[in-house]
Amino acid sequence: MANYSFKGGIHIPNPYPVEKPKIRQVPPPEQAVLLLQQRVGGEAKPCVKVGDKVLTGQIIAQTSGKFPTNVHASISGVISAIEKRPIPHPSGINAMCIVIDSDGKDEWIKIKSCNQEFLNCTPDEIIKQIREAGIVGMGGAGFPTHAKISNAKGAHTLIINATECEPGIMCDDSLMQEYPREIIRGVEVLMHGCGAKKVIIAIEDDKNEAFNSLLLYNFNDRISIEKIPTKYTSGAEKLLIKSLLDIKIPSGEYASDHGILCQNVGTVKAIYDAVIDNKPLVSRIVTVTGSAVKHPRNYEARLGTSFASVVKQSEPNNQQHHIRMGGMMMGVDIPSSDYSICKITNCIFVNDVEPKLPVQECIRCSSCTPVCPANLLPQQLYWHAKSENIEKALDYNLTDCIECGCCNYVCPSNIPLSEYFAFAKALDRKLKREQQRVERSRERFEFKEFRIERNKKERAEMMAAKKKALKEKMANEQSQKDKVAAAMERVNKNKKGQQDADA
Amino acid sequence: MQMHSQSLNTAQIMRQVIYALTLGIVALFYFFGWGVFVQILLGVLSAVIFESIFVLMRGRSALASLSDGSAILTAILLAISIPSIAPWWIVVVGVGFAIIFGKQLFGGLGNNPFNPAMLGYAFLLISYPLQMTTWQADFLSLSQALNSVFSSGVDALSGATKLDEIKTGLSLGNDISTMASHSMAHLWINIGFLLGGIYLLIRRIIFWQIPVAVLFGIVVMAFLINLLSAQEHLPVTLHLTLGATMLGAFFIATDPISASTTPTGRLIYGFLIGVLIVVIRTFGGYPDGVAFAVLLLNMMVPLIDYYTQPKVFGRQ
Repeated sequence: MANYSFKGGIHIPNPYPVEKPKIRQVPPPEQAVLLLQQRVGGEAKPCVKVGDKVLTGQIIAQTSGKFPTNVHASISGVISAIEKRPIPHPSGINAMCIVIDSDGKDEWIKIKSCNQEFLNCTPDEIIKQIREAGIVGMGGAGFPTHAKISNAKGAHTLIINATECEPGIMCDDSLMQEYPREIIRGVEVLMHGCGAKKVIIAIEDDKNEAFNSLLLYNFNDRISIEKIPTKYTSGAEKLLIKSLLDIKIPSGEYASDHGILCQNVGTVKAIYDAVIDNKPLVSRIVTVTGSAVKHPRNYEARLGTSFASVVKQSEPNNQQHHIRMGGMMMGVDIPSSDYSICKITNCIFVNDVEPKLPVQECIRCSSCTPVCPANLLPQQLYWHAKSENIEKALDYNLTDCIECGCCNYVCPSNIPLSEYFAFAKALDRKLKREQQRVERSRERFEFKEFRIERNKKERAEMMAAKKKALKEKMANEQSQKDKVAAAMERVNKNKKGQQDADA
Repeated sequence: MQMHSQSLNTAQIMRQVIYALTLGIVALFYFFGWGVFVQILLGVLSAVIFESIFVLMRGRSALASLSDGSAILTAILLAISIPSIAPWWIVVVGVGFAIIFGKQLFGGLGNNPFNPAMLGYAFLLISYPLQMTTWQADFLSLSQALNSVFSSGVDALSGATKLDEIKTGLSLGNDISTMASHSMAHLWINIGFLLGGIYLLIRRIIFWQIPVAVLFGIVVMAFLINLLSAQEHLPVTLHLTLGATMLGAFFIATDPISASTTPTGRLIYGFLIGVLIVVIRTFGGYPDGVAFAVLLLNMMVPLIDYYTQPKVFGRQ
């Protein structure tokens, strides 16, 4: 067991444990609504038209730019609409989606990938296949996996994040119990892709079943499976590295700068599916839990399946619900369940509507200080964030806050501290942008002034040069005149002399 | 879904602190009689009235403000700090000053830089030194207590505080051991507050750094002063068991709002309070130094907090 644990963090019991780890398959939906807005890399551009027939696994949209991510059809059928639909976001905004009406056949497109002979493929080919398959970080961050691997090329250590530290989410736990062979093989593919010599699979010590099943299928002595203490925020990348390797990644740097690549265990399974099983990312495991469902369970659902149809299988009660996507601590509250599952939907909380606890004044008790995994002083930070004194908040290392919400959890006054910090960060970004704008305008203005001045000077110089030239010319002319006059005089003289001689 | 830990909320914390005071209050009652409860009752009543008026003037809900329990806690802390035979207007004025100038004018709970109870106490001590330093020696019945509080006719019973008495005795050249034997009452009262404080530590309502550092500061400073001349000064043990030592260390200095918030800062804050308590007791003109020591350190909190920030993960 790795024993370099970090300061802070809290143990939060799972509020509604799943009955059985078994993953239930949700049948392909009648209609799939696929979100084009990706978490990283902007909105994907559709490459199909309304009325087109598509097969399962076919690329239907693609983002361009630095981190291209593909969107695949998750069912076979006909594109019935490309339009704005509400997306799972706390603001309830709409964004472009592609809607596919199923033909009921679920016909797959034929894709050729490396298969079991992946060692014969070059790392670049593997990364290309991961990119083609549209794989993003399945833990919830949604960062394009191929880009992350490319950034960490030459990494010495690969860390597989199987901690699933956020209470409530249980999809990785059951994934490891059901697909240990696939996961180990996926890790080997990833090792080949990034060139790492050593792999650590990190599991929290309360997931014994998952640990044992992975152990049973691991015959690769370069892969070690390690338990770390069960504690919330142990899955945060930098803290995980600290727990396993006792390396502190400095603020502002990335794990890849230190030769370490972290990948979520769900992503590893997706890589297995893509590289060995010829299947792009068209489905994912989703935990449905919360106080309002009778059976908290894990489901494997196609992307684009509506929340409601998955939630229905867990038998929710008939009350009004409060829906949350993601975990208990860092998930986002969303206005209703009229959304569809996207690549980062790891968990759906369905809770009974409860009155919000009243927020009281901060009494500076600093219960938040010992639980902060970033070792910040949340209480002081709150003071400055609340008064929108961003400069002071930055002085207290606002940017190092990972918004884990441990401080909210322990606050006796029920203050949503991390929300204040997120707000302060947004304000900081806005101020920085404004500053840049002002800077740019200033530069432009100064350049304009400089230009006017320069033109004036050039003009003056030009005029002066012209004047000088003219003067010289004039002077030359003068001397010419003098010469003419002298010549004339000579001529006259000669003439005179002639006349005198004649006379 | 419970999005919060099952631990206490702010109002429950205040209530727990009040419960923890019980043992000390019982000891006070045992030695000084009913006056203690009369003062507490008066204090709480005036706290409720002052708090309500000022919160309503600020356009907020009086009920919400009272329910956090902080005003009542302030009143109790002040009421048990003043002599139990003090006239009724002492506690009313003191609590009024504590609530209005100590808390509400700064923006209410959480925004006050000073410990309100100690601010009220300091105000009373400076303004009415006679009433604030006259303690009675014996147990008072309810009627005696009411009589002394409302018509102030107990001159026969009263005397100086124990600390004052010993200090005066020392300056007159009396032997310390004979005087110390009379301080049983203070010993038991301090034990009562110590036990209450230990309860708060076990419930994790206060952090250990402040009380430990306060007591350590007292011990270190008292020891150093005793090195100068043991004859003329209070021994270390008496510093720990006389006056408001335990009340100060566990209940006054630990008020989270006006104390330092960083782990290292709390050690410095507590230690300096301990040192100042002994310095004021030894060289100052007032009988006890807890209130002034705490108020002085309250002023230093922003400075202490700024220079004792913990090292942030991944930063040098």
